[in-house]
Amino acid sequence: MTEISLVEAVTLALSRAMEDDERVLLLGEDIGLDGGVFRATAGLVERFGTDRVRDTPLSEAIIAGVSVGLAAQGFRPVGEIQFMGFIYPVIDQLVNHASRLRTRTRGRISCPLVIRAPFGGGIHAPEHHSESMEAMFAHVPGLRVVIPSSPHRAYGLLLAAIRNPDPVVFLEPKRIYRALKEDVPDNGEALPLDRCVVLREGSDVTIVTWGAMTVEALAAADELAGEGVSTEVIDVSTLKPLDAKTILESVHKTGRCVIVHEAPFTAGFGAEIAARLAEKGLMDLLAPVRRVAGYDVVMPLPRLENSYMPSAERIATAVRESAAYA
Amino acid sequence: MRTFRLPDLGEGLQDAEIVSWHISAGDRVVADQPLVSVETEKAVVEVPAPWSGRVMSIHGAPGDLIAIGEPLAEFDLDETKADAGTVVGDLPQAPPISKRPAPREDGMPSRVKATPAVRALARKRGVNIAAITGTGPGGSISLSDVEDATAQTHAGEFQPLLGARRTMARNMAAAHAEIVPTTVSDEAIIETWPSNADVTMRLVRAIVAACHAEPALNAWYEGDRRARLVHDKIDLGIAVNTDDGLFVPVLRDAGNRDETELRTGFEAMKRDVTARSIPPQELQGQTITLSNFGMIGGRHAALVVMPPQVAILGVGRITTEPKVSKGKIVASKVLPLSLTFDHRAVSGAEATRFLMAAIANLER
Amino acid sequence: MQADEESPDKHAEITFAVSHTGYLGPDGTVEEPLPEFARDASALIPLYGAMVLTRVLDEKAVALQRTGRLGTYASSLGQEAVGVGVAAAMRPDDIFVPSFREQAAQLWRGVSPKEILLYWGGDERGSDFEGPREDFPVCIPVASHFPHAAGIALAFKLRNEQRVAIAVAGDGATSKGDFYEAINIAAVWSVPAVFVINNNQWAISVPRAAQTAAQTLAQKAIAAGMPGERVDGNDVIAVQDATERAIARARAGDGPSLIEAITYRLADHTTADDAHRYREDAEVSAHWKEEPVGRLRRYLTDQSVWTKENEEALLAQVAEQVDEAVEAYLATPAQPVETMFDYLFEKLPAGLLAQREAAMTKLTGQGHD
Repeated sequence: MTEISLVEAVTLALSRAMEDDERVLLLGEDIGLDGGVFRATAGLVERFGTDRVRDTPLSEAIIAGVSVGLAAQGFRPVGEIQFMGFIYPVIDQLVNHASRLRTRTRGRISCPLVIRAPFGGGIHAPEHHSESMEAMFAHVPGLRVVIPSSPHRAYGLLLAAIRNPDPVVFLEPKRIYRALKEDVPDNGEALPLDRCVVLREGSDVTIVTWGAMTVEALAAADELAGEGVSTEVIDVSTLKPLDAKTILESVHKTGRCVIVHEAPFTAGFGAEIAARLAEKGLMDLLAPVRRVAGYDVVMPLPRLENSYMPSAERIATAVRESAAYA
Repeated sequence: MRTFRLPDLGEGLQDAEIVSWHISAGDRVVADQPLVSVETEKAVVEVPAPWSGRVMSIHGAPGDLIAIGEPLAEFDLDETKADAGTVVGDLPQAPPISKRPAPREDGMPSRVKATPAVRALARKRGVNIAAITGTGPGGSISLSDVEDATAQTHAGEFQPLLGARRTMARNMAAAHAEIVPTTVSDEAIIETWPSNADVTMRLVRAIVAACHAEPALNAWYEGDRRARLVHDKIDLGIAVNTDDGLFVPVLRDAGNRDETELRTGFEAMKRDVTARSIPPQELQGQTITLSNFGMIGGRHAALVVMPPQVAILGVGRITTEPKVSKGKIVASKVLPLSLTFDHRAVSGAEATRFLMAAIANLER
Repeated sequence: MQADEESPDKHAEITFAVSHTGYLGPDGTVEEPLPEFARDASALIPLYGAMVLTRVLDEKAVALQRTGRLGTYASSLGQEAVGVGVAAAMRPDDIFVPSFREQAAQLWRGVSPKEILLYWGGDERGSDFEGPREDFPVCIPVASHFPHAAGIALAFKLRNEQRVAIAVAGDGATSKGDFYEAINIAAVWSVPAVFVINNNQWAISVPRAAQTAAQTLAQKAIAAGMPGERVDGNDVIAVQDATERAIARARAGDGPSLIEAITYRLADHTTADDAHRYREDAEVSAHWKEEPVGRLRRYLTDQSVWTKENEEALLAQVAEQVDEAVEAYLATPAQPVETMFDYLFEKLPAGLLAQREAAMTKLTGQGHD
């Protein structure tokens, strides 16, 4: 068994999906011979040919729009958007078409497409290459938003996304594309969508997070354990539809919650989770719900990047402040 | 307004049948736009609009015959459509300014700084959270603050009141909220009483005498109406203490019954009270009440007047005191009396005279 | 990828012409030799009937909107020949990808008048076509459906199917990125698609001359590397002819084409618009003289294949058909409130069940699990 990284797990899932289902095909820029700018599609055009691994002209709107047409005709297109900073033209096709074709035709036409994009900061990339705008997609009815946090989960969740009969936005935390390695068997087993994952059990404070921030959260939890604070860490995994039940059960146990996301603070997806806690978990709360997030500023260029993103230290501070409500 | 009349369609035709209208009343049309298709002998002809403008009304339905020169449609040549202000949907219009409700301004009440889980614990422990000083962040009340407060004040948990205790709690609070209590107290020297004296009956006789002397204390008062009902009959409530609590059965018409009858009646009531078999009617309608609390202990007391009554006579423990009689100090048996009255309906003079009358009767 | 063999970085001499096809003049007279399918005038009668049905339904829809029984409606008055001509050139298993003003083509393709009324009346069932099950529903965001047509055509190509995707959009759409991006990829991937520009000269209040500096809209196809031509959009024969040729090219594997059909928007942009605010009545009046329905009627009458009795009978039949559809539409009650949820996903996620419940019982709370 070889251990693979998150991005390699993406490749593994794509090839597994294409192997098992001839309707699956890939569109994107530079995904053929170049294997994708992050090598997420490395080796696939050689295996499956240019009909199924298609380099598109430079047009994100087309990657999404053509995927809509293909999906309506029964294919399972997986479109790659090179960086989240370039995803905004895709929003038109996702919001105006992919997410609503089924309902507006009363089920006559559906849209089983996946749009994958690397997202988030921390790789010292130029401007626009470090965005975290997952909340924008989470706000769209009819759209699923899935964010893996490990190689194993990337494999299983991407398979689930491709097999899902409705549109999915699959955001890959590029900061941990290669930072983690683990054993991922190529068994074709999908992981459940719409479900949170408890990464670490604890009894004093619940951290709710996703993507690359899970690494920081777990590091903070380790530090806090040394201080006698027992932290539970939940990976939301599928942002929309949200598995609020798992989060509420955890906060019922701990009474304290710190939500962590790289995306800007205001109207980030943490606000939705905080609202759910206020609505259904209020009586369990011992401390105010906290959000540790990116500041409400444009993501700075790499020199200040680390000051922008939530660190294990900032997270631990917030957890300590929560725990002070005894 | 201009009337458009069916024009001469040529070929000597006099009339035409309307086949179908292409526009509706209210539509804006341009010149040459087909308004209506009519059927002549030769063909189906489209009749175009002669002018641009708004068609206010049309004449004739499909199938109708229209003669040349007869009105087909009424045009308003100058009017333009009211600007909808949109190209899709309908925009709701704002109501006139006078109809808009004024914005409300709400004041913010001050709050105890405690999270819901902490409040829930305080409720459970029966601790008054507002009385706790918080030591949590920002001066908030923490779980341990609540626990500490609990340890100081109570061991154990609150039990809700039931039965007679519950009634007492309710009635006393209600009485206190309504009446204006004032108490005057004194003593009766009862040295001359025989050793087997029926204390209760003597008290009953004394109250009867006092009521005759000062009827104002045998009355009911209704505060809402500021109205008073002075009773002829004396329905004397006598407080009876039991394990289950205080009951006040009523000795009806105490002023008109002889003592033996009153005694047997009272004994029967006491039995029924103890056996909890007394009917509710027997516990209602007191016009004045006697509480011989001295049987348990205590000398003077300001008891609670139960509205609509206006007086309650409290009788304390009989003691032997040194008293001055004819210039000499004599050991005398003394019966302390406290009269609490509702000063809204009874004056101090009335109350004092009542008390003196009772004492006079007791000292006979 | 191979670079162009003829010195790609040097001075390139590229000339192009944009052809224009038209057969019947505005007064119904034949100006060019007719194409094969039109030589028998009686073969054109179904086209005429379809245009009349479109127009009568359209008039009825406007009337319904005026009386509060239909929502905002985009009239196709004057543009009947574009839709009928395009659709008549298609096979049933081709796929039509419309804008929001293609009622004529939709009707020819088998969308029922009732479905059209349901859609504009605000009911999603109007897009659940019983007839053409794979045709796309109306597209409101301008030009955003052109990429869909490219994707559909790609699906046909990948499956080796002899089917073609035909998309129609307006003159305004040619200014949008989606338009160019779609024709670009359609051409470079050589997919079986036909893109039709229903050029009615107006994008709400913006006239064609203010839309682009390009002399024609058809020439934008040349930038994408595909053929582009113009037709008289008020001549249903010309429209069908051009579309048939474009479809044949696509079906034969020769890639996509663009057709600019030139017509005129005789009505307001929508029933809420008032074109009087921005265009001259005289201009509109002048264009009434070029409209497609009367033009073909004159031709058919001149060819002695259409009589007054035919006209009456047609009008009566169409009126009955439209009245039936209106009745059926008005008699259709709104869907139950839970249908807002029931078609959103193949299977409604558990997290939405509480909201669905709340919507059904009209609870004031939102309801979440």
